Amino acid sequence: MLFSVPGIIDGRFIGFLLNIAMAALVYYYIKSKKMVHIRRVPGLDAIEEAVGRSAEMGKPVVCSFGIGGFTYWTLAGLAILSHVAHLSAKTGSRLIVPTGGGDQSLIVRPVAEEIVKTAYTMEGVEDQYNPDDLPFYSGQQYAYIGGYVGVMQRVRPGSVIMTGSHASEAMNIAETSNAVGAITITSGSYISNVAALACASDYILIGEEAPAAGAYLSDDPSQRASIRVQDLFKWLAIAIMILGIAARSLGNDLMLRLLST
Amino acid sequence: MAKDSGGILRWMAEYDRRYVYLALFLVMVGPLLRPIGMPISVSPDTRQYYQVLQTVQPGDKVFFTLNTEFSGYNEIQSGIIATMRVLVEKHARVCFGVAHVEATVIPDLIVKAVQAEMTANDYQYGRDYVILGYIFPNEAAVAAGAQDFHGVVTQDWLGRPIAGTFLDEIDDWEDWDMIADFTTGIATSYLVNHYALRGTPMIMNCIGVMIASEKPYLDSGILLALLQSMRGGAELEFLIGHPGPGLTAMDGFSFGHYMLIIFILVGNVGYFGYTRQQQMKVDKEAK
Amino acid sequence: MAEILKNRQLQIIVMMLSFLFVFLPYFLNVPQLNTASTKLITITSIVTAFTIALAVIAQFRRGMNIINRRSRGWYFKAYMLLTLVLMVGFSLISRETGPYHWVMFAVVNPLSSVNYGILAFYMASTAARAFRARNTKALMLLISGFIVLIYQAPLTGAYFGGFEPIALYLGSTFAMAAGRMFLISVTVGAIVFGVRVILGNEPSVLGISKEEK
Repeated sequence: MLFSVPGIIDGRFIGFLLNIAMAALVYYYIKSKKMVHIRRVPGLDAIEEAVGRSAEMGKPVVCSFGIGGFTYWTLAGLAILSHVAHLSAKTGSRLIVPTGGGDQSLIVRPVAEEIVKTAYTMEGVEDQYNPDDLPFYSGQQYAYIGGYVGVMQRVRPGSVIMTGSHASEAMNIAETSNAVGAITITSGSYISNVAALACASDYILIGEEAPAAGAYLSDDPSQRASIRVQDLFKWLAIAIMILGIAARSLGNDLMLRLLST
Repeated sequence: MAKDSGGILRWMAEYDRRYVYLALFLVMVGPLLRPIGMPISVSPDTRQYYQVLQTVQPGDKVFFTLNTEFSGYNEIQSGIIATMRVLVEKHARVCFGVAHVEATVIPDLIVKAVQAEMTANDYQYGRDYVILGYIFPNEAAVAAGAQDFHGVVTQDWLGRPIAGTFLDEIDDWEDWDMIADFTTGIATSYLVNHYALRGTPMIMNCIGVMIASEKPYLDSGILLALLQSMRGGAELEFLIGHPGPGLTAMDGFSFGHYMLIIFILVGNVGYFGYTRQQQMKVDKEAK
Repeated sequence: MAEILKNRQLQIIVMMLSFLFVFLPYFLNVPQLNTASTKLITITSIVTAFTIALAVIAQFRRGMNIINRRSRGWYFKAYMLLTLVLMVGFSLISRETGPYHWVMFAVVNPLSSVNYGILAFYMASTAARAFRARNTKALMLLISGFIVLIYQAPLTGAYFGGFEPIALYLGSTFAMAAGRMFLISVTVGAIVFGVRVILGNEPSVLGISKEEK
């Protein structure tokens, strides 16, 4: 520790400072209403190709947004679901959205229903929206997998787009999707999943690519602001790492003591 | 015969996945039915885990958290029971808490598995061990328990008050001598955030896919030791001299890995011998 | 009263105060805040647990709707609701022994274990299919995977100790770097997301649709 600040618990000052800085930056970017530029994530092209392929083959599209509650990943999944729903409505493909898998998934489900219905309405094909195509397969993870895998085996989709927060069921879904011959696009929100999904999927959105894709699609200034602030802090982390490695190599533990303040 | 059937090389490049399923099933079930007893090696991480367990003193209060569904318990069962055996032999005081509804039956299974050791060490419920049941439904519960244990937990799994048990000595995170976390990833990050990062010593036994994500905590010293999946559990059983379900499964474990390597090699031979040749032919014809 | 509680500004103020009550005691040395924070967290924990009750009620409403409409597969819904009621009843009889214990060990646990066990087969077939040395990068991946797979088999180390240092090196450098990268990204993302929610820029979290916003 370099120094202690009265009133602040030892060892937590830098963390406090970084949190305040992050909050201030997010506030600044949101209030400035600047439309921050985000490059188009390559995975979005894969999604559009997959939905197009399903339309050509006359097969449905299966798209899920995760099993968690309102988290960072689920919101990214919902933004991608909205995009897929628009594409499906435009191309006339049937869209199936399996929901469930977690205790919090019931809270997210109405939002997903609203998103899909709105997409079909905005494309002028409200009559094609079928609420039974958003089945709820239990709040238990493994019961959810059973239903999800079952629907894939029965309908033989042309593409499976699995984004949001998925745990161990991700592998089940990706492999079954591959087995039925669908194009598989997944997003790995846990590092535990990324390696396996990278092998099992045709295309994977790794880590931050899914929220970035969601921010790109949603055109929401606050989501884009978040991505910009995250990028800034990642650059800061890289700078701290480089300084720390250089300092340690020279036998100086200043950076270590600073970060422990 | 078709013009370009490819023969055995084509099969090697494009074999049905069901052959993999069948072969994996046979090489894993065979040694379980007829154990061979092949030797194993012990990894440095397991040795470190064992050494940390040896530092537990009689009377130490250990929070034995089961962050796993019952399905995950099958993978880390060996580590759980071996760790419990060591803790009982050290006469530590153990408090069980679980983070999933399916895991509520697991503490009873653990107690049954080490009943002989518990009887030999005169373990009494309340004085030496308590089963709290499902107390970690979410992060708020973990955080509240870390700050004010008795504000959150007042009775055990069967509704009996915990007043009068050794848990009277627990107020907050500082009062635990160790957290032994057995996890498939449910509430582990909450325990790290609210206990380990505040200084409570913590060891962990995780499933195989979580090793990469938990190693940074081990490297930075937040975790004292990390037991890795069923293999780590088997190695721990070997170190403590009590063979169990982990060691039994190691024959199949080894053969399964070797079988997978063979399939990968077969696939690559097929790739270079058939698929790549076909691609080169197509490219030539296109030119 | 309902209109006051639905007021978006009030919801955001309550959220902001709750956040400060939990955030500040972690950094600031104020014992009174600690007590208030603990009470608030305990209340939150209890309220969140009620989502299970909400889930059960929602399941019943949906289920009865599907059964009444005789939609496709309505009998599965009826079976699900029946088992839900039965399990609640069984748990009230006894949790240690009896029908609850039997259903957990004879039905729930084996079914859950099967789904988990199937992952091993899927991972094996995925690995066998995906690990092809198509180019230099894939070849390097294949060699690394080969070394780690060989090392993971406990039998290998008993006879060939040479794989251990290489496998440990791969795990403690490249794999660890990826793990740390993820941790940093996820943590920063979660903080930034939380700030957006507190500032009221995530209406869906409050149950407000984009159109109403």
